[in-house]
Order: sequence, then structure tokens, then C-alpha cells
Amino acid sequence: MASLSEEVLLVVKKVRQRKQDGTLYLMAERIAWGPEGKDRFTVSHLYADIRCQKISPDGKAKVQLQLVLHSGESTTFHFANESTALKDREAAKELLQQLLPKFKKKANKELEEKNRMLQEDPVLFQLYKDLVVSQVISAEEFWANRLGGVTNTDPAQYKYKQEVGISGAFLADIRPQTDGCNGLRYNLTADIIESIFRTYPAVKQKYNENVPHNLTEKEFWTRFFQSHYFHRDRINTGTQDIFSECAKQDEKGLKSMVVQGVKNPLVDLLSLEDKTLDEGYGVCGAQPSTSNSNRTVKESSNYAIIKRFNHHSAMVLAAGSRKGETPTDQASETSSTDGNSRDSDFFQPPVKKVKLQEEYEDLQQENRPKTVPLNLKKSDRYAHGPVPLQSQQYTTSQDIINSVNYIQHEMANYKPNLTQVLSSTVATSAISALSPGGVLMQAGAQQAINQMVPSEVQGELKHLYVAAGELLRHFWSCFPVNTPFLEEKLTGHLEEMLQTAYNKFHIWQTRRMMRKT
Amino acid sequence: MKLNIEGLLVYFPYDYIYPEQYSYMLELKRTLDAKGHGVLEMPSGTGKTISLLSLIVAYQRAFPLEVTKLIYCSRTVPEIEKVVEELRKLMEFYSKQTRESNNFLALALSSRRNLCIHPEVSSLRFGKEVDGKCHSLTASYIRAQHHSNPSFPVCQFYEEFDAVGRQVPLPAGIYNLDDLKDFGRRKGWCPYYLARYSILHANIVVYSYHYLLDPKIADLVSKELAKKSVVVFDEAHNIDNVCIDSMSVNITRRTLDHCQNNVDTLHNTIHKIKETDAAKLKEEYRRLVEGLKEANVARETDVYLSNPVLPDEILQEAVPGTIRTAEHFVGFLRRFLEYLKSRLRVQHVIQESAPQFLKDIYDKVCIDRKPLRFCAERLQSLLRTLEITDIADFSAATLISNFATLVSTYSQGFTIIIEPFEDRTPTIANPVLHFSCMDPSIAIKPVFQRFQSVIITSGTLSPLDIYPRILDFHPVTMASFTMTLARTCLCPLIVGRGNDQVALSSKFETREDFAVIRNYGNLLMEMSAIVPDGIVAFFTSYVYMENIVASWYEQGILENIQRNKLIFIETQDAAETSMALEKYQEACENGRGAILLSVARGKVSEGIDFVHHFGRAVIMFGVPYVYTQSRILKARLEYLRDQFQIRENDFLTFDAMRHAAQCVGRAIRGKTDYGLMIFADKRYARADKRGKLPRWIQEHITDGSLNLTVDEAVQLSKHFLRQMAQPFRQEDQLGLSLLTLEQLESEEMLQKIAQVAHQT
Repeated sequence: MASLSEEVLLVVKKVRQRKQDGTLYLMAERIAWGPEGKDRFTVSHLYADIRCQKISPDGKAKVQLQLVLHSGESTTFHFANESTALKDREAAKELLQQLLPKFKKKANKELEEKNRMLQEDPVLFQLYKDLVVSQVISAEEFWANRLGGVTNTDPAQYKYKQEVGISGAFLADIRPQTDGCNGLRYNLTADIIESIFRTYPAVKQKYNENVPHNLTEKEFWTRFFQSHYFHRDRINTGTQDIFSECAKQDEKGLKSMVVQGVKNPLVDLLSLEDKTLDEGYGVCGAQPSTSNSNRTVKESSNYAIIKRFNHHSAMVLAAGSRKGETPTDQASETSSTDGNSRDSDFFQPPVKKVKLQEEYEDLQQENRPKTVPLNLKKSDRYAHGPVPLQSQQYTTSQDIINSVNYIQHEMANYKPNLTQVLSSTVATSAISALSPGGVLMQAGAQQAINQMVPSEVQGELKHLYVAAGELLRHFWSCFPVNTPFLEEKLTGHLEEMLQTAYNKFHIWQTRRMMRKT
Repeated sequence: MKLNIEGLLVYFPYDYIYPEQYSYMLELKRTLDAKGHGVLEMPSGTGKTISLLSLIVAYQRAFPLEVTKLIYCSRTVPEIEKVVEELRKLMEFYSKQTRESNNFLALALSSRRNLCIHPEVSSLRFGKEVDGKCHSLTASYIRAQHHSNPSFPVCQFYEEFDAVGRQVPLPAGIYNLDDLKDFGRRKGWCPYYLARYSILHANIVVYSYHYLLDPKIADLVSKELAKKSVVVFDEAHNIDNVCIDSMSVNITRRTLDHCQNNVDTLHNTIHKIKETDAAKLKEEYRRLVEGLKEANVARETDVYLSNPVLPDEILQEAVPGTIRTAEHFVGFLRRFLEYLKSRLRVQHVIQESAPQFLKDIYDKVCIDRKPLRFCAERLQSLLRTLEITDIADFSAATLISNFATLVSTYSQGFTIIIEPFEDRTPTIANPVLHFSCMDPSIAIKPVFQRFQSVIITSGTLSPLDIYPRILDFHPVTMASFTMTLARTCLCPLIVGRGNDQVALSSKFETREDFAVIRNYGNLLMEMSAIVPDGIVAFFTSYVYMENIVASWYEQGILENIQRNKLIFIETQDAAETSMALEKYQEACENGRGAILLSVARGKVSEGIDFVHHFGRAVIMFGVPYVYTQSRILKARLEYLRDQFQIRENDFLTFDAMRHAAQCVGRAIRGKTDYGLMIFADKRYARADKRGKLPRWIQEHITDGSLNLTVDEAVQLSKHFLRQMAQPFRQEDQLGLSLLTLEQLESEEMLQKIAQVAHQT
């Protein structure tokens, strides 16, 4: 059995698949199942192929685990061991949960990258079609040469991946559903959990502390949704709630944000006023006091909501603009609980000056030296120089008639002014410059060739040329031949490849010739 | 470009000009020519400031003897700094055009908090602390002590300035706050005192209203400013409230307790000094016998701004004998304090006039009117004599003595209201004595009397005629300019109904109505889906906003809004709101888009601009009426009716509409900007409300957009936004809303401008 060399992480016995008893193996790179008493796997999936796993609800009689593949197929395992079915399933689920994201990322990343490159670069896409699809070289070979080279030449452009921000309403997206018997059910996805963690690092910390030693994951989230922390309108009173600490931490973060003050002086309400009235002066001295002492319960809960909204928005914003943080970077993560994103660091004093100079852009002349405006009757003629007039430029027949009339009129009234004619040499050079092939007519000559060959032929020729070029690149990249692998590549299939390419070209040529004649 | 404004050569530092800027300068010139006061309204974002500066500077250069100084008052620190930057630009243009350095001196003045460079003092965060600390290092007796004992700390910057700074005037130039600090650091001089000293000979001074309107500060800072100055109040739509605030006093039990402590401290200090240095007190006594002659001398030369707290006639008299000795004065203060305490021990609301109060105090504790009037002066003198270091500690005593002086000086225009508890919490005793000014003209009167031209200007001053009435002055020019637009970049919509035809209104009866709240939520949600970047929504009060936010939260509306944009909410805590504001701008900046829920009359609505993508739509939920149940307001309305014949409803509507206009005006800050203005209340459709909006907003409200449903408003907004998203270039504006010099000078355009001016 080939799989013996693989590391087996978990073995679960008495697992049914298609009503057949068998054993489930979780290995380093794949999950496999074999029927009882047989020596081979009838089901085997690479982790990279698995999109997600689903489990049956707790109350159900059958304890099942379903794997959904990227291809859309699914496989269901039924844990049949009566006494430990639930435990088995949990164990498998937990392990899968840890394994899947790793493979998912790896697989997706590569695929995505390739896909993106092909989409962004039509020439490359054509080349891919010419070489890989028509099986001149294999896909691996194609990419082996490509991927590394490209990412090395311009790492900044390609390695920079913009992080996806967090939806402001991610908490709202967790729609609680009533399950019919006085309870609520929340559906959590990995995305939502990630959003919660990124927005509220304090919750993540709690999660790391408590799961799985003190609480199971499920218990953790149940408590989360029950807690006052989630329900923003309630005021924190209970101390037994594990999230009350989070709330306190948030409070602290909010406070430190406030104490830090703002960096943009134009929005700093504290320093806006130049001279505030001393205490005791002014009409509205008896403002309803902001202290919590004489607020009603309702008022302070309203106030709490407002505060939480401000905090939530600030955290979402900060989570979106947090850059370059690896998940293992625990220290930096906790230190950024203040939610102050780094973008605001750019508000430096010089910015203040710029902002103060409120400019009326439209009142100002654009910033370039004043020049005498050139009065052009036909600006495109000025821009393109003397080009041969193309027939399509005279679109209407009225234009042609007009111009003919005009020329006729000009000719009729033409009076040669013989005292001011050009010398014969200048005249000849001007004529030669203006005749086909002359200095001023080069554009015209090129156009003639362009027009002689139909564009589809040009396109095909171009593709062949590029494909041949790519093959030659492969060929020349083998020199100097200092490894046996390169030698094999050269003598072996490269020659073959070039031959294929040549044949292809030949076929095209003959086909063209045939069509022409 | 160089303009010819009725014969005056005006340098204008831009290549193009808006037509309304030209008309504005015309009106301004006429006002200056007539040496009178003016009220000018021009929308924000049409370059009011630069027009004002260009014309007045040109006028100063042409007629240096007629106008010697420009005093430019603005509201906030950033606005002050902006004005100075504009001025800098103008001056650079001047020196480039005339090729000679001009000897103009212009500077900004702000509080110590913004100007201090002393390492310890400037690190303090609050203005009051900075002032107190500064005082403890620069007071005259501290410096005298330092003289005898050099280890005594003083501020070396002030010492340096005092030693040499006064001889050499500040070199000509433009000094913003930071420039002053730089200059101060280089020379080792205190920038604050340097600025305060330099405004006397500067050509242009830029500072905040309070330096001119608040008698307590004006007396210190602006006393000696030349009479031939032009005073400009920019963003003056709220000037009446600033006046009233500066003259009103509130006394709580806490104030009285503090004051009690102050008085005890005074008593002890006097006792101590008597043992050690009795001569000092005798000297003070002698001074007081001679009367306030010093102050009197100064006033006779007519260079001083008269102090409303200290009316002229009391300067003729000596301090009355009853409070002349220090002990007697302290005893007097004690008696006054006890009387106030007894007044605060009431069970029901009392409202009385100043004469009634004086009669009562005479009957109960035999305090005469005359010594009360000298109370403030006498306390100042005593504090000086006793060498009290920390003036800030004595704020309570100062407050009480100021109150005594005010109440005995003005028999008209003030009212006293004693409330035993807050209306919302009738069970908690919290007695407050409001001594409230009802007549804004009292504080601003000296300004109008003293300076030859006072210009009141803002983007929203409609209706224009009400300001001269409530401020009691006679302007020579009143004009409202509209914004000429090449494309209609503002879109005012009045949403009067929900999709279910429920009338939308924030009026008291329907305020708690769920249908209204839900429809308001719908409006915001729909808008959040179609408006790009930032949306600002204003509510009529904090309480109203909190209630609505809570019920939107319960109904799940906020969650749906969050799908489109992040939500930030203004709170009553300024620091928290600043943070929210910054995050809001960040969210608009990075493309996520955000909504700011804010409050009319709050700090955001008054001081923060939402240019371009920071505010693509403003939604005004309800009509922002002031809280009408307040007794102070009722008294003021009564006073307005009796004295100025302004009907209560007219004033309330005027006040509400000016705040609404301020709120919605936040989004449009120029002709290249664009924004939706949504008035979500059916009452806006009425002629009496609509008619009080500024002309530049009013003229874009079509009859078709008076009573829209939410859906209709969304459709119109979509259309508007799509149109506005098209590129807008300078050429599109040129000749219509933007003029070159040649275009401006063409006969046709001048006629057009003259016509526009006539309409106003």
C-alpha cells in the first residue's frame, strides 16, 4: 500500500460510506476511506480539492460529516460507532478544520496567480493557448519558466496583495433564526469569525485563552452571542461573563484613542474655539449634565449604543487598513487594539499648512509659464503633420463635391507669381520628399504594406512568431548545458518541440498558400 | 489681476474672479466710503475672505489716513489661520506686482494656549491651566520677588520681551500663529505678549470675536485699538448669541461654595499681611480714595474701548467708603454671598428684573446699589494688592463680583431667573441663578460706537433685516449675493412624506411616532445606497438623536445602513467627537464611505466643513428649533417683542432656519464642489420657513421638490449625482461664473453685475 509511507494523522474506525462499513484515514495531504477488510482506498481526496466540510446538526440520529469538493461533488461519512460516534466526528472535524485552510490557501494562491497573469496579459494568454493547449509543451514547463521569472523581475507589483477589508455590517449578517423551540440559532462562517477576530482582537485573545482548554468552540460562540458584549444596548453589569473583560478592554482602547487626540488640527473640536467662556458665564450653563449620575437607564443605554457604534466603525476601519501583520504577530496585534490605523500618521504639521491654504482652484491659472496661445484652425493637422489624406476622411459626398469645387475655383483664379517661385533644386527635393518613399511620405509607404496583408493573417503570423520565440527562449535558456537535466531537455523533447512548432508553421503556410491560389 | 472698483485700484491675487466677488467689493467700498456699517451675505466658497482683504488693503493703501487698521474677527482657530494665509498670498502678490517690499504688518492673535512657547507651560492641555500657569510666572509681584531672589522662577521669554521687545517694533510682514512662535523662539521673546503688544501698531489684526465682544477680555486686549479701524465680523450669523453669552452669568451652589472658600482665603491673607506688611494695605486704601483716576485719564483721551461692565460715570467717583478697607470689603462679600445662598434656597421658580433684585437685597441685607457696582473693580484691586498667585483659583469670587457689578449697572436688558431644579429631574434639587442677558446690543454697542465701519458678513445671514434690529444699529449697506453657477451644483430637496405617505416632521406631537422614525431611517438608508463617500445627517437635538438612533438600532435599520457605509455619531464629549470626525474623514478618504450623525447647534455644525467627498449629501432631520420651554428663552422672546417688535414666532423660525442653513451649507464649499441638501420635514415647504433660507439656497428649490416622498427624493438625487459626476472644467465656468479681467471689464458683464446688485 503506497499510503503506508504517508503520515497518518487520525484513524477512525466504523465509518460508513454508501452504507458500507469501513475506516477513515486522515493523512498529511489527503483524506481517505477504505471498506472493511479490503486493502485499498475506494475514496481518496486531496485536502486541496476540498472546498468545505459540513456536519449534521447535533440532535440528529445519524452523526455525519460531509465533504464538498471544488468540483461540486460531495462525499458523506456516517460515524456509526454507537458509543463514540459524536466524539469521533468531532475529532475528525477538528483536525480537518486545522488542515483545510492550509491547503486551501496554497492551492488557491497558485491558481489565482496564474489565472490573474493570464487575464492581465493577452499576449501570454495567446501563447498559453498556442503552446500548452496545442500540447507543444506541458503546462508545468510553461509555468516553471514563467512564474519565477515574473515574480522576480517585478516583485513589488506582483507580490503586493491588497487585503480585503471588512464589511461594516458583518455582525448584522449573522442573522439569528428561531429554531422553533424558544431558542436562537446563529450561523457562523469562517469569514465572519475572521471578521470578528480582526475587528475585535480582544475576542480573539479570549478565544485563544479559552478554546479548547476551558470551552469548546461551540460553547465559546454561544456565550459570545449571549453576552452583553454582543448586545450593544445593554450595560455591562455581570462579571461572570467572560466577555465583560473584552468590553472593558474596548472601553480602554476607546479612551486611549480619545486621549491621544486627533492629528488633523482642522477637526480637533477641542482646540477649535479660541477662547471659551469661563465656567459660570454664558446662557446655556445649565446644560443637562453629561455625567452618568442622573441619567435614566434608557438614556445611558442609548449613550452606550452610540459609543459602541463609534467604536465599531473605528475598529472596522482600523482592521481594514492594518497592513503587514502576520497572524503570529501576537504582540503587534494586541498593541493595535486602540484601533488607530496607521494612515492617520500621515497627518503631519506640514499638512496643516497645506490644508490652511484653502485654494480656489478655479480662480487660479494652471501652473505653467504663460505663452501666446496658438490659434489653430485644424488642430489634428497640427498634431499629425502632413499625412496622406485617406479616403475615409472624406465621408460625405458633399465634402468631396465641395472640395472639388474649391480646387476648381482655385485653379481658375490661379495666377503664377513668377518673381517669387522656388529655385528648381528646392522644388525637386520637395517633390521627392513628397512622393512615395520620400522623407515625408514614410507613413504612407508603411501603411501600404499594412493594408496589403489582411489583419487576420497578420495576427496569426504574430502568434506563430511569438510562440516560436518562446520556444527559442526555452532553447537558449538551456545554455550552458551544465546539468544532465538540461542536456536531456535539449536533446530530448526540445528538439521535438521545435520540430512541432516548425510543422505548425509549415501547415499554416501551406494552408495560406492554398487559400490564396 | 488689477481691478478698478469705482476708481480704487484693487490688487486681486488670482487670475480669475467670480462675478459676485466683484459686486461684493463694490458694496464694501461704498460702505467704507460712507464710514458706516454694513451687512453683507455671500455664500461660503465664493471667496468672501479674499474679496474683503483685497478691497480693505487696497483702501488702506489708497487712504492711509481714513482707515488705519483692519480688525478681522473670526470664530475658530483654523479659520483665523486661514485668513492669515489668504492675506499672505495677497501680500506676496502685491510685492510681486509693485516690486517693492511693503511695510504692512499683519498678525494673528490667539490665546496663550496657542501661542505659548515656554516648555512647561505650553505642555498643558487646557487653556485655563495655561493662563493660570503663565500668570504665576509673569505677574508683576512675582517678577519683583524674582528681582530680590533670583532663584524664584519666572518666564524667561517674558522677561526678555519686557526688557527689549517693546523698543523694537515687530518687523513688517505677515505673522500667522506659527510664525509668531518661530519669531519668538528665535528672539527668545514671548510670542503672546509680543502679539498683544504689536496689535496696537499692526495694519491688520486677525483674532476671535471674544477679544472684541467679551468685555472681560476686550478690556485687556482691545482697549487701545485705533478708532479709525474697520472691523469685520466673519461668519457672523451667530453673533447675537456670542454677545449674550459674554454678558450672562450662572450661579450654582457649587459656585457659592467655591466663593466661600475664596473669601476665607482672602480673609486669612489679609490677616497675615496686616501683621507683616500693613503699609501695603494702606497704600491701596489711599489709591482707592483717589478713585479710579487712572482709568479715567485713559478714557478721556478717547483711545480706549469703553468697557460695558464699567460704565463711564462710575469712573468719576471714588470707591465708596463702605468697601474701601480690605476687611470691610471681605465682610461685604460675605454678606452678599449669604444673601445669594438664601436666594438659592427656594422651592419654586422665581423670575425678576434687576431693579427688583436690588430692592430686595437692600431690604434684606442692606446692601446698597453703589458699592455693588464697584465690586468687580474692588476685587481686582484687592487681588493685586494681596499678590494672589493663582487667579484661576479665584474664578468663583470674580464671577460673583462681576455679577454684582452687572446687576447693579444695567436695569434693562437682563433678567434674573432662579430655578430650584432642572425641569427634567424635578426630584433632584439643583438650584441655579441665571442672570441672563437678553439684549445682544449691550455687548456690541461699544464696538459700533467706537469704530467707523463694522462689517457683518457670513454665508447665511437671511433675513438680513433682522440683524440690525436685534443688534440695534443702522447699516448703510445691506446686500445678499447669490452664487453664480455654471452648473447647478446644489440640489435642495424637501422630503415631506415617507413612501407610505406618513407626514415627516420632528414637531413635538409626532416626535415619538414610530412611523416617522422608521421613515427617517428609510430615507437615510436609501441615501446611503446611492450617495458616494460621505453623508452628514443633522438632528435637532442630542436627546432626539439618541432616541432615534436607539430605535433605529432596535428596528435593524442601522444594520442595513452599515452594509453601505460606516456610521459615526457625534457625542457631547468633544474629544470623542473629534476622534469620530477624524475616522469619518479617513473612511471617506479611503473610499469606504461613511455617515456622520450629528446635531444642529452642536460643535460640528458650527465649525467643521465637509468639502467635496467629505460631504456629498446633508440630511436635515426636522426643523432645528431651540428648546422653547426654557424660561431664559421665553424671557428673551418677551424682551424682543417688547423692545424690538419682533414676534416670537418670527424669531424662533429665523433662529431655526439660520441653523438649518448653516448645517446644509457645510457641504458646499465652492463652485467645483457639489452636494445634496435634503430637508426632511414637511414644514420646510411652508413659505414662512422657506423664505428665511438664504437666497442662494432658496432659488434652487423648485416647486416640484417641495413635498417629495422618500422614493421621489432618491430618484431626483440619483439623477443629480449622475450629472454632477461628469467632468467639470474651468472652461465650462469661464464667462458665466468665472471671469477673466477682459470679460469683467466688458460693458455687457458690468451691466449684468449691476443688475444683480440692484436686485438685492
